[in-house]
Amino acid sequence: MTQRKRPSSTQSSSQRRHTGNLVAQDEDDDATFTQPSTSQVQRGLEKLTPAQVDQKTAEVVQYFLVKDQKKMPVRRADLVKHVVKDYRNIYPEILKRAARTFDQVFGLKLVEIDPKNKMYILVNNLETPDKASPVRSPSNPKMGLLLAILSVIFMKGGVVRENLIWNTLRKLRVDPGEKHEEFGDVRKMVTDEFVRQRYLEYVRIPHTEPIEHEFRWGQRADAEVSKAKILEFMGELHEQDPKTWTQQYRQAHSLPNSSQASTSSSSQR
Amino acid sequence: MCLWLNFEKNCVATLGICTNKTSSILTTEAVNRPFLYPVSKTCFRSRTSARVKMKRSKGGGDEEAPRHNGSAGRRKADQQQSDGDEGGSDIGPADLQDDDNDQGLRREIRSKYRDLISSVQQNREDMLSPSNNKLTEVLEEANKLFKDVRQAREAALDAQLLVVATDLGKEKASQLFSEGTAFDPTAFAEHLLSFMGLNRLEDDEDEQQNTANGYLPQDAWHRLARRAECCFRTAPSFHYMMGSFYAEPPPPKQRIERQRKAPSKEAKRIMPTQLKKMEESQQEATEKEVERILGYLKSYYQDDPTSPISYYEFVIDPSSFSRTVENIFHTSFLIRDGLARMYLDEEKLPCIGEMILLCPSQELIDAFDIKDSIIRPPNTQND
Repeated sequence: MTQRKRPSSTQSSSQRRHTGNLVAQDEDDDATFTQPSTSQVQRGLEKLTPAQVDQKTAEVVQYFLVKDQKKMPVRRADLVKHVVKDYRNIYPEILKRAARTFDQVFGLKLVEIDPKNKMYILVNNLETPDKASPVRSPSNPKMGLLLAILSVIFMKGGVVRENLIWNTLRKLRVDPGEKHEEFGDVRKMVTDEFVRQRYLEYVRIPHTEPIEHEFRWGQRADAEVSKAKILEFMGELHEQDPKTWTQQYRQAHSLPNSSQASTSSSSQR
Repeated sequence: MCLWLNFEKNCVATLGICTNKTSSILTTEAVNRPFLYPVSKTCFRSRTSARVKMKRSKGGGDEEAPRHNGSAGRRKADQQQSDGDEGGSDIGPADLQDDDNDQGLRREIRSKYRDLISSVQQNREDMLSPSNNKLTEVLEEANKLFKDVRQAREAALDAQLLVVATDLGKEKASQLFSEGTAFDPTAFAEHLLSFMGLNRLEDDEDEQQNTANGYLPQDAWHRLARRAECCFRTAPSFHYMMGSFYAEPPPPKQRIERQRKAPSKEAKRIMPTQLKKMEESQQEATEKEVERILGYLKSYYQDDPTSPISYYEFVIDPSSFSRTVENIFHTSFLIRDGLARMYLDEEKLPCIGEMILLCPSQELIDAFDIKDSIIRPPNTQND
């Protein structure tokens, strides 16, 4: 069914790979990685032992776990190039098994945050505790700063000019122009690290002179952060009922999964 | 290009804005045309007629769709109102002829526009506040200026001002439009500081520093991070419990042991030699020095046997006090050993001179029949 769409060249190339020809992988192959069809996957699985497939799945899982330490999203191209390699003809099957492992073994969810560029992240599948966890694991102060920024963006309708964020941070004794004793180069952390981690989006506003940017929630934030919980926190801080912010309340509770965008690994790959 | 703004303190704002596209079209059009005056006449006779022109060319009121859900009826009413207000700013052709006046006037207009633009940009926070109508005032100012605009350059500035003002207007409208409570980032920051445990100082010692009152505790951001954990579904970072396995430890240990052994042997070897040297050097140095000074004394006496040497001249080193002291020290040995003598000359100043060495010659021993020395010789000095 899908073979109709594919040009003949890629079909033949995937068959070449299928025969186990250890050709050196060039960049072009990865850029034009096309999803093998289910029949191709079936055929591929027949040629391999279950142990081999399990091994490959385990490698993918390990790759994800290590990449997730720094909270950087995993690109499909990298995954195929560095881990899957010759098994790319059964790639969908491997990914499905990996997602299952994450869910059953680790309690994590493999989420595709960018359908166009095929990027994945790992998200906690377990319920978030209502109060702080009793386990005194070391907390990362950057998350505190991120929470402040995301809260402002959300309460302000989803898009804010960068100056608003910088001014708010200054009021919180964090000056982006100076080196902060806890965070270091704040500006770099916010506009570079958080953006690469996909917590924030830092987009240039056209026609502005001098150049200005605006901040939005990033794709990881959409998947990981609960708007309802943020609103709850706002209510606590301001000693108000979260419902008084009607627009934000509506936004936070409109989705069926009020916590995040409902993407799951099984639906898109 | 048109702008209707109707902000009043407690009313919902109605906002009709032309998009940036429109204003940029205007600017590019105006700038690219060689003959500006006729174009500007058509385009800028009044802003409302320009809107009409745009409407015709774009075929619809899409450009004027407000960014927020204002009621259409009210918008139209406002349109007519502003039409009435702004209509009839006719430009006559006579102004073209007076070039010099024009230049000066134009410069003035441009400068005023720039002032308005910078005031909007700089006082952004101030203008956003719903408690005043500063934005409307700026636009009224701009309207007045616009009456004198003839050429594209000033019109471009007018367009720029409108872009900036509409942007602010949009933000202001979004504030007023929210059905619920508005969100104030400043108040939020204050609450957050309290949450993080800010210790506000009781008395205002520093009147200048109104903003930085109090200090944040060390774990301020950790407190917030902990609260953040409830809102985030972050996957816990994966780390091996026992750390990573290294295959290398044994070789470094051996190297360390070897290194430790080697220095200790060398150290022992060095120790004895050093000690010996020290003992010898101390003795030798003094003796050498004394001999050296004796040499000096002798050479002085050889040069001039008759004149006495002033003691002070002999020992004092004008450039170094410590050397002087050393010289005195060594000279005292000479005197002790009887190789030199000190005496006071006519002026009661100390002088130093040679002694005739009393070396025990054989004749003296025979003459006095000395068999044994009275003074027992001390033990060897090199103990």
